[in-house]
Amino acid sequence: MATEQPSEELKILILATLSGGYAGADSVGQLHADYATNTYILPVECPALFPKEFYLRTFKKGIDGIIIMYSGTDCPYKGGAERTAEIINETYPLMKERGMDTRRLRLVAICTVCTQPFLKEVTQMNNVLQEIGPVRQELSVSQD
Amino acid sequence: MVQEKIRVDTLVVGGGIAGMQSALDLADQGYQVALVERDPSIGGKMIQLSKVFPTLDCCSCITTPKMSAVAHHENIQLFTYCEIQAIEENDQGFVSNALQKPRYVDVDTCTGCRQCEYACPIDVPHPFDRYLGAHRAAYVPFSTAVPQKALIDMENCILCGKCQRGCPANSIDFTQKEQPFEIESRAIILATGFEITPPDAKKEYGAGQFHNVVDALVMERLLAPTGPYGHVLRPSDGKEPDSIAYVQCAGSRDKTLGVEYCSRVCCMYAIKQAMLISGALPLADITIYYMDIRTFGKGYDQFYQTAQAMGIEFVKGKVARINEDENQNPVVRVEMIDEGSKVVERMHDMVVLSVGMLPCYDPQPIFGVRSAEDGFVLTPSINMAPCVTEHPGIFVSGTAAGPMDIVDSIVLAGAASAEAAAYLEANDGNRRSVKSTTNAARVTAHA
Amino acid sequence: MPDKETSKLEPSQMKTDTEEPRIGVYTCYCGGNIGFVIDCERVADELGKLPNVVVTRTDMSMCSDVGQTMIEEDIREHGVNRVVIGACAPSLHEQTFRGTVSRAGLNPYFYHHVGIREQDSWVHSHDHEGATKKAIRLMSAGIAKARLLEPLEPIKLSAEKHALVIGGGVAGLRSAWDLSRRGLKVTLVEKSPFLGGHMAQLEKTFPSGEEAGGLLGPLIANVVSDPNITVHTYSEVTGVRGYVGDFHIQITQQSRGVDDTLGEAAMQACKTEVQDEFNYGLTNRKLVYKAYPGCYPSTPAVDWDHCPDGYLELEIDGRQIKLENQPKTFDINTGAVVVATGFQPYTPLKGEYGYLEHPEVLTLPQFIRLLTLIPEGKELQLNGHRVHNIGFVHCVGSRQIEGIHEAQEDGQVNNYCSRVCCTATLQAINELRQRYPDLNIVDIYEDIRTYGRGHEEYYAEASANQVLFMRFHGEEPAEVVRATDGDKSPLLIRVKDYLTWGEEIEVPVDMVVLAVGMMPTSIEDLIRLLKVSPGTDRFLLEVHPKLRPVETAVPGVVLAGTAQGPMNIKESIAAASAAASKVAVLLSRGKVELEPFVAHVDHELCTGSGECVEVCAYEDAISLKPVSMDGKEVEKALVTSANCVGCGVCVSACPNLAIDLQGWTLKQYDAMVDALVMDMSAIGVKHE
Repeated sequence: MATEQPSEELKILILATLSGGYAGADSVGQLHADYATNTYILPVECPALFPKEFYLRTFKKGIDGIIIMYSGTDCPYKGGAERTAEIINETYPLMKERGMDTRRLRLVAICTVCTQPFLKEVTQMNNVLQEIGPVRQELSVSQD
Repeated sequence: MVQEKIRVDTLVVGGGIAGMQSALDLADQGYQVALVERDPSIGGKMIQLSKVFPTLDCCSCITTPKMSAVAHHENIQLFTYCEIQAIEENDQGFVSNALQKPRYVDVDTCTGCRQCEYACPIDVPHPFDRYLGAHRAAYVPFSTAVPQKALIDMENCILCGKCQRGCPANSIDFTQKEQPFEIESRAIILATGFEITPPDAKKEYGAGQFHNVVDALVMERLLAPTGPYGHVLRPSDGKEPDSIAYVQCAGSRDKTLGVEYCSRVCCMYAIKQAMLISGALPLADITIYYMDIRTFGKGYDQFYQTAQAMGIEFVKGKVARINEDENQNPVVRVEMIDEGSKVVERMHDMVVLSVGMLPCYDPQPIFGVRSAEDGFVLTPSINMAPCVTEHPGIFVSGTAAGPMDIVDSIVLAGAASAEAAAYLEANDGNRRSVKSTTNAARVTAHA
Repeated sequence: MPDKETSKLEPSQMKTDTEEPRIGVYTCYCGGNIGFVIDCERVADELGKLPNVVVTRTDMSMCSDVGQTMIEEDIREHGVNRVVIGACAPSLHEQTFRGTVSRAGLNPYFYHHVGIREQDSWVHSHDHEGATKKAIRLMSAGIAKARLLEPLEPIKLSAEKHALVIGGGVAGLRSAWDLSRRGLKVTLVEKSPFLGGHMAQLEKTFPSGEEAGGLLGPLIANVVSDPNITVHTYSEVTGVRGYVGDFHIQITQQSRGVDDTLGEAAMQACKTEVQDEFNYGLTNRKLVYKAYPGCYPSTPAVDWDHCPDGYLELEIDGRQIKLENQPKTFDINTGAVVVATGFQPYTPLKGEYGYLEHPEVLTLPQFIRLLTLIPEGKELQLNGHRVHNIGFVHCVGSRQIEGIHEAQEDGQVNNYCSRVCCTATLQAINELRQRYPDLNIVDIYEDIRTYGRGHEEYYAEASANQVLFMRFHGEEPAEVVRATDGDKSPLLIRVKDYLTWGEEIEVPVDMVVLAVGMMPTSIEDLIRLLKVSPGTDRFLLEVHPKLRPVETAVPGVVLAGTAQGPMNIKESIAAASAAASKVAVLLSRGKVELEPFVAHVDHELCTGSGECVEVCAYEDAISLKPVSMDGKEVEKALVTSANCVGCGVCVSACPNLAIDLQGWTLKQYDAMVDALVMDMSAIGVKHE
């Protein structure tokens, strides 16, 4: 069954760790499970690399939802998972300030064989985006 | 394509975790290694597991990087679906006669796309899923197999040709034959692993006839995210079990089975599975019937304490017998030692047998390496040289040297590679001389 | 201003031009895996319109020889200097194509791989149009990254082919010997004046029954006669600088006080005695002593710990001689460090099971020594009293429960199993039974853990030989109390025995043996110097029990034996050999190669805020150092590549955007996002 696409694609950026989410997405591929095509996965070593501003400007550029699929407690880097969580928590209020729905940004632990959680996250984000619409709408309303 | 003869420093026999680790440790030092695995994929028993104790890491996340490292290593030549049939010795070392079994698939062009699998009409119970699931007669061994190459199970193939028509790379080749070749090596590491107690071993526990009495490896597959049901369900009726019991030492410390030793891993895997089940089925009651809880490794006793705190019931008692009631519920007859050894019968929805580790390969006929009374490879100097067999130049790694858990296997694999490296260095006059004629002690003890 | 530490990067031999990117884009059909879903030709056409793309090609199987040769030709003959491949998952073939690119003479990091099989065609097989558009987007993001790729080289550090082993017990000796056999130079330091560690104090080993000395002696002989190994006894590590491949170790060595000519006479002459630690205080020894008969070195040593003034005056042959401790300090340079500092037996607290309150209570290590002090055929006596009834208590100082057992000084209980005590106890019991058939032996345990190969036999033998077993629950430990006067045995063990209905039983005994567990040797100074971490059980922590079981978080520092956790001899030997294997991997090539994905600081932008240093979890990976800029001394962040793991935590923390992670720069991510949201029609790409 073809996935219903909205007229203007609502884009989801997935930042996925090589040791976790990225490999998990490959496992989903191995299963040939179907999910929406508006999902763009970029590999990362550890998402603690990204400052808050990166997320804000990525939304501003027109990415409607970001899922960070990190390795959680399996993170091979000392303190990487904790730092990522800190940065994301600090990003939420900044999103609110700019009139953005914080559900657009989600941090979730995905392991190399977490196929069901992967699919669930993608579906959930798409449901949220269906509900709240493109990020540009929110940003044009706000003064940012 | 398989060459007729290859030459390496060390031949590693067995591509489970121990063999892979030994191969990697040698290859990383610059030695040439041939790794021979009889199954169509490396990964061994470990890749079948769900999560590993005591960290509860996802097992695939630990195993697959090692599998991939083996496959891509510039110093490792990997031969899967291949067996050693005989060895000869000469002054250069060993010449092993290897036999590449036919996959009926050209591995050079196969991309692992599984089109053959989708086209194939034949389902075969899958040993990887402990026969709960099925694979096709044309199939890639499992989702994380290395190499990701298909093969055809000729015993079950009906030669319908659908795979051949479905293959986009034209890789199916029904004319493939067994291909013998030779591996010359100066040392050999045996990492042939173990097998678990067969399901019909114990009459008192139903000899494998009760649907809802399963072995622990079945439970691993039920718990694995890649498992056959994707959920813990009892096999007879697909019901979510409310009450699950573990019977410890079901295949170990049991003179009636001729297995007097402790298999070392069963206490920990039972506790681990109990924890995972209580995560998956929070309302289920879980009981572990045991003789002694042997959680001796690093962080293991703490793991046991956590399980007790989670409400998992530990009952000291010897399970004498398991029966089945009319609803296929297993009924456990157990001597409750902490309650004055009274004998009671308790019904559960499902019973998991904590089966033991058995030797699975006798290297005597081919490698001239004897096993000890317990059936595992004999290491004459068990304390000081735990990897050294009776045969110079042949070493043993992992559970071929007796039951042990993954951590101990990996450590022993490192030790085996150290022994092999030392042997290679000592037996290669061209490279360097380790032996020195001087016996000058370089010990400082200043007065 | 060159970054001094990262300038260890070797200049590339390969083409690392800074000329305009000329990108070759390769889309793989993967048989039909990709091609049946994604319109690869359209992908190639569309991507060909993007700036800098000079070649686009498709192939049925890009990883085949044909495909790889095509890429190599484009690099060599068509001036392609960046390669983007859309194919299966990078985990499968990234290495393959790095090789391809590098064979053609291009820096292997001028290549980017985009997974369009597992993450596109296989998951969108019902939406060919969507999958094709997604492939175009993903690969245009890859192209955007490719424009910003920098040439990278693995970080190559030259490595001293020399390892330091700390600890002269069985694990340290074995590591040293294995390293030497592998062709590496080894320096072994032992804190005490003699080699052998705790193994020297054992008699028979399980499961083979071989004499411990008979096994240890040849190992010591191998080590001390090995020209590749230098042994320093009575020595300690007092300073550590540097990193993997290049550690600078300071060693401080105590004087022995005597030499061979004076040694024996000094031992004779010395009148002062102290408790002999070799026999765990059961006997005394002189201040000038040898640890045990046949010990190595055979030269006696002066016990300076008991000479508070640092000297000892003796009258030898009528002459007054002053033996002085003049510690000397020297440096060595090694590539790796093996920590084999071992364990110490748990010392029960005063009153714990009557320890130190009743002289009839011994620990198992003491009891093993006691048995060696009693000649064959002589009766078992303690302090002149014949022993008729003896009780063994397991899990003393192991498997402790908070709130039940008294905590150690650090407030913690030992909640771990010590692994060796069950078999060691049963071995001692069986030995005792053989020597004293009439003795009444009670064994009080929680679980019998004879897990090892050949260990269960000890349990079976004890069970078959009239050893009375009693089982307690962990939260109800047994008690040892003085019997009332007139009882025939001096002590009572009170235990709630769950093998007999959980009844409280009083067992009269003449002697109690406590099967004490293992604790790590106290090495606070060394932990601080090496920057390694202990776990919650106080033993040294490995990176990961399965992925890297003998490595610490400090590159180049590995663990051997019971410094890491309780182990028996066999397990210590295996761990020591595995540690040697790891060190051999690191050092045998004379250089250490690390991934180039490390942080890099732009000193033009760095203001020395230090926020990067604060968030970094790794020792000495990034630090503020004074550098001179425009003639002024200013503080700037400096990365030590050898210690940086490339997590990028510092990148997001820098307020000035002065740090980047090589190979994964923020600019590259921004460019990729730009490509994902780009209006493709604006650059002539067919829209919808």
